[in-house]
Amino acid sequence: MKTDRFSMVAKTLACSALALSLALPSLAQAEDGKLSYLTWSGYELPEYDEAYLKAHPDAVTISVFGDDDDAFTKLKAGFRPDLAHPCYDKIARWQKAGMIEPIDTTKIKNWDNIFPIFRNLPDIQAGDGKVWMVPWDWGNTSILYRTDLLPDAEQSWNLLWDKRYAGRMATIDAVHDTPVVAALVAGVNPFDLSPADLDKVADKLREQRPLMAAYTTDMTSVEQSLASGAFVAAMTWNASAVTLKKQGVPVAFMHPKEGMLTWACGFVFIKGMKNKDLAYDFINSRLEASSGKHLIENNGYGSSTSTAFAAETPEKLKELELPANPEDMLKKTVFTGPMKQAEELAKMLEKIKAGG
Amino acid sequence: MIFTKPDKTSGAGSVLFRCGIFLPGTVLGLGLVVFSLSLVTFFAFRHNDGSLLGRGWTGSNFLTILTDPLYVRIALRSVILAGLATLATVIAAYPVAYCIAVHGGRYRKLVLFLVTLPFWTSYLLRVFAWKIVLAYNGVLNSFLVGTGLLHEPSLAFLNTPAAVVVTLAHAYAPFAILPIYTALESMPGSLLEAAADLGARPLTAFRRIVLPYSFPGVLTAIMVVFIPTVGDYVTPALVGGPQSVMIGSLIEMQFGRANDWPFGAALSVAVMLVIAGLIALLRKTEAGKESRL
Repeated sequence: MKTDRFSMVAKTLACSALALSLALPSLAQAEDGKLSYLTWSGYELPEYDEAYLKAHPDAVTISVFGDDDDAFTKLKAGFRPDLAHPCYDKIARWQKAGMIEPIDTTKIKNWDNIFPIFRNLPDIQAGDGKVWMVPWDWGNTSILYRTDLLPDAEQSWNLLWDKRYAGRMATIDAVHDTPVVAALVAGVNPFDLSPADLDKVADKLREQRPLMAAYTTDMTSVEQSLASGAFVAAMTWNASAVTLKKQGVPVAFMHPKEGMLTWACGFVFIKGMKNKDLAYDFINSRLEASSGKHLIENNGYGSSTSTAFAAETPEKLKELELPANPEDMLKKTVFTGPMKQAEELAKMLEKIKAGG
Repeated sequence: MIFTKPDKTSGAGSVLFRCGIFLPGTVLGLGLVVFSLSLVTFFAFRHNDGSLLGRGWTGSNFLTILTDPLYVRIALRSVILAGLATLATVIAAYPVAYCIAVHGGRYRKLVLFLVTLPFWTSYLLRVFAWKIVLAYNGVLNSFLVGTGLLHEPSLAFLNTPAAVVVTLAHAYAPFAILPIYTALESMPGSLLEAAADLGARPLTAFRRIVLPYSFPGVLTAIMVVFIPTVGDYVTPALVGGPQSVMIGSLIEMQFGRANDWPFGAALSVAVMLVIAGLIALLRKTEAGKESRL
């Protein structure tokens, strides 16, 4: 009897194993002939890919993330797109983790149209005419506030620590934004922190936590809350300022005396990618002036290419407060470069958000 | 064994059939339950060094959970919020179930169908609906300002622990109504008549007959609502604000941004143990009640 039951179990197991072995390969196989692109939500608009989609209709699948650290976790968990879109401060870490492979700049026909300041970023150099990231976009992080509710707001990041507005502010849930600002306010160098500096940043973040209604990367809900008046101020990127101004909401994108944050992001090749040729075509298409022009007008972000700026009218650029040369911007702002203590800051931010 | 072995009387078709019928259970049981639980437990005892599987063996993850007051506090908060949500759900669900079972008459089926109707929309949508109700310029605030009860919209509804409790209680209501209804439905009407004959007032009859009779249903409702709400992640994230971070969000953070899978696994195991303990307590109450009946 015992052996009968045992053989039954064994048979069942064998059947299951067979079925599993048949099912698994088909699951693991990625889709060929279609570029898979992992990017920030908001960067998936078809008008950014006009040239590419004309040449390869429908040949891209896009997945989005809220923040490039989320993207890193997805990659770590086994997601393998062809192309991803992190920001410059993450490149060294992604490269160290063996996530990305070099991109041949000779195959990027608009490479020389990229502003030298972005082309020559130290962390993207992979040697031998290759790079780890092809820059596409840059922009600013600052406080977007309601000019009618805060008519004489002090032009300082300290607004996000003002107890009078407790529960009516939000900040960005990302290591390269909120902790960097906390470090600036605490008066320490955000990109290289001693253990004592880390404590100062932690204290600042703890001081801020009870005042925040939300830590989020969901900019749509932040924009809605600012529009309704539930929030008086929030840390955002340029795009939110453009969106709300278009809706006629009285808002201003602050120029804090400690400096706005300026970031630059771009395309990376994910190790083990299948559609390299499509990926080069995709990057080339995004570096066309028309694509960059859409980025400038839709999001208020800067394009990495000078040709896109040349295609834009000076009035529009003035309205968006974008200088035609990013070097002018960077003289006044804090560039978000690689952060040596990114891991520690990430853990700290998560813990403090939870109340620790 | 009572059944006769079909192997001997039938051929390959039967073997195939049996493989087919056992397959889903085996795959689910071994793959999704045994394997996943083992993996989580395995991770819980690893050092985090950023690599996929961690390094070495350690109990330090559990030590941190026990020694850092943050984790105990958040676990306690999760249990309290889920407990309140469960309480609210059961209290609201009981009269509904009672009405359907006792006074439903020929509309019983229709009303039960209506109770499950909200389930036709996604859980996420129902949470968002509450967001719209509770928001600064939302339905509730507009009503209160419109009727002059408030001078200006209140921020006190959204992004609070209360919002989490209300949203959870609404979302899980059918889970409580159905088991309580099932328990009450099987109650013979003659019991109440007998109670009345013996001079019991309706309230006494309810307290001494109906309530004990429906107790197993209430207990099931408590478990079915409490277990998923303790670990709920999306509701606190959407309507709770930073003051109502629950253990589910904390676990998500470890697997996400904080990039510490072993610690996240340890937290998951700890939560499972806490819930198992609470359920064991409930079971004991149930057994106690039944032996008294």
